[in-house]
Amino acid sequence: MIQTDNLTFQYKKEEHIFNFPNFTLKKKENLLILGKSGAGKTTLLHLLAGLLKPISGKVIINTVDLNSIHNNHLDQFRGKNIGFVFQKNHAIQSLNLIENLQARLFFSKKTIEKTVIDSLLKELNLNNYKNSKINTLSVGQLQRLNIALSVIHKPQVILADEPTSSLDDDNCKIVIKLLKKQAAQTNANLIVVTHDQRIKSFFQNSITL
Amino acid sequence: MNIWKISIKNIKSKPLYTFLSVFVLSLSITLLLGIQQLKFSFKHQMETNLSGIDLVIGAKGSPLQLVLASVLHLDNPTGNISYEDAQEISKTSMIKSAIPISYGDNYKNFRIIGTTQDFSTLYNAELQKGRIVKNVMEVILGNTVAEKLHLTIGDTFLSSHGLVENNIEVHATPFKIVGILKPTLKIIDRLIITNLESIWNVHHHESDTNHEEKKPHDTKEYHHEKSEEEITSLLITFKNPAGFLTLPRKINKQTNMQAALPKYELDKLYEYTGAGFKTISWIAYLILLISGITIFTSLYKMVKDRAFDLALLRTYGASNFQLAKIVIYESLIVVLFAYILGFILVKIGFYFVLKIIEPNYQQIVLQKTPFQEVLHTGAFVLSIVIISSLLAIYPIIKMHISTILSNEK
Repeated sequence: MIQTDNLTFQYKKEEHIFNFPNFTLKKKENLLILGKSGAGKTTLLHLLAGLLKPISGKVIINTVDLNSIHNNHLDQFRGKNIGFVFQKNHAIQSLNLIENLQARLFFSKKTIEKTVIDSLLKELNLNNYKNSKINTLSVGQLQRLNIALSVIHKPQVILADEPTSSLDDDNCKIVIKLLKKQAAQTNANLIVVTHDQRIKSFFQNSITL
Repeated sequence: MNIWKISIKNIKSKPLYTFLSVFVLSLSITLLLGIQQLKFSFKHQMETNLSGIDLVIGAKGSPLQLVLASVLHLDNPTGNISYEDAQEISKTSMIKSAIPISYGDNYKNFRIIGTTQDFSTLYNAELQKGRIVKNVMEVILGNTVAEKLHLTIGDTFLSSHGLVENNIEVHATPFKIVGILKPTLKIIDRLIITNLESIWNVHHHESDTNHEEKKPHDTKEYHHEKSEEEITSLLITFKNPAGFLTLPRKINKQTNMQAALPKYELDKLYEYTGAGFKTISWIAYLILLISGITIFTSLYKMVKDRAFDLALLRTYGASNFQLAKIVIYESLIVVLFAYILGFILVKIGFYFVLKIIEPNYQQIVLQKTPFQEVLHTGAFVLSIVIISSLLAIYPIIKMHISTILSNEK
């Protein structure tokens, strides 16, 4: 469950103050946040992840107010409960595919059975690339790895920042379907911020900034 | 997965950076360890080889040369003195022991010393096998001599005139080995010891044969005029410090001999060479500092270049402290390898240097640097690298994850 309450943010004094709409998502519910460039989509996403501190308002994930947690605990909370998908796909270059997943689990202090990891990789069609170096993976494989990294630790919330903006229509569909499927399997809320109108039809709930 | 594994993977993913960091750091470690070992060996050699010798009496000349030649057996002697005069001095009441030594010959660059039985006692040298010298032309070998020349009891050899091996001035009278000393790690290990009579007789016999026709050699037929007998120097130990005040001055003023205080002369020498050691040490520290700066700039650049990776790890739940640990562990791995490489380079370096110079300087005994000193250098290198790492991780502490993630490229 994730809830926002009168969330406002300002980067610098005398700059524009972002006022974000309130929303509440129950377990397994998804949300699409649409908006033009500069509307504050990524800012809202970072507020939801506790990467930015609001000047007022609350973000509550499973009864925990992110603003009330100390920084170190916030790191741990984020690691355990939030999964990220970025516009460009990133992974730690010095580690191979499986090691990236292991690092993700290590920092989120979660232990997942090997069989669960294997089945996830199989589902994402990555089981043959376990020991591949990151720089040898194709764009599609890297995108799927990022989805795996966002769900491997069974988070409460998956936050996706423009996950389809650089993809063609077919791949756009594939990625959104995959994200929704993985979120459903882990009982997580999926929140996607984008300006990409193509994915509107995949979501029942949406708000525009 | 753990932080060590991530650091090791990071290191492995940048082989050139790792190699350069390890290499530059190991060079300064090599210099530091090398200088330390040389300094320690030098000081140890001087201190142990003094072996209670308070005063050296020899022919007039440079006092340092007299000490180097008679105590460390490194230089040529200043000349000879009369044995009769030396014996007269030995009777002085303040003298505890006076050991005459006579030399000027070598066998394969190892010096042959004619002396009394007290000489071995001076260095606490005990027999490993065989017996002491009882007759003329008998020798006992220092342990290193026996080992290096593969000589054993019963073997004989012909000595050469002078302190460096040559095939021109080889004496005709053979020496016979009757004993081998236990190792002492002192200069006596590298000496061949005989009695004074053997040295006198070899030279007397040689000078005789220059004028007379060569006769079959008979070791029992050596006779000399007492007044002809000469020695190179006399090694004195005093009963009490009062001897230092009167005897050296008396000898230097009233005789044609000179008295040199080995401790004073060697301290002076150490002072001169110490300046050299100090200069090289400072150069090594400077290189270490440069290595530290190199490591700092490399790590700083790495932190900047990998800002997104590190921000990504923060979204995984890593704390700033964990990210800092990744960087520090990487530097620790570099230090460890650099230290091991530095240690190996010192060993290899000294092995080859000694191999090149040993034939000319048989007396060099390299001492192992005490573990505490090695540890001290290690701690110093480590602290330089830790400081470099802490400075390099500053951007991590100041890292604004949201900004980095928003500006992804």
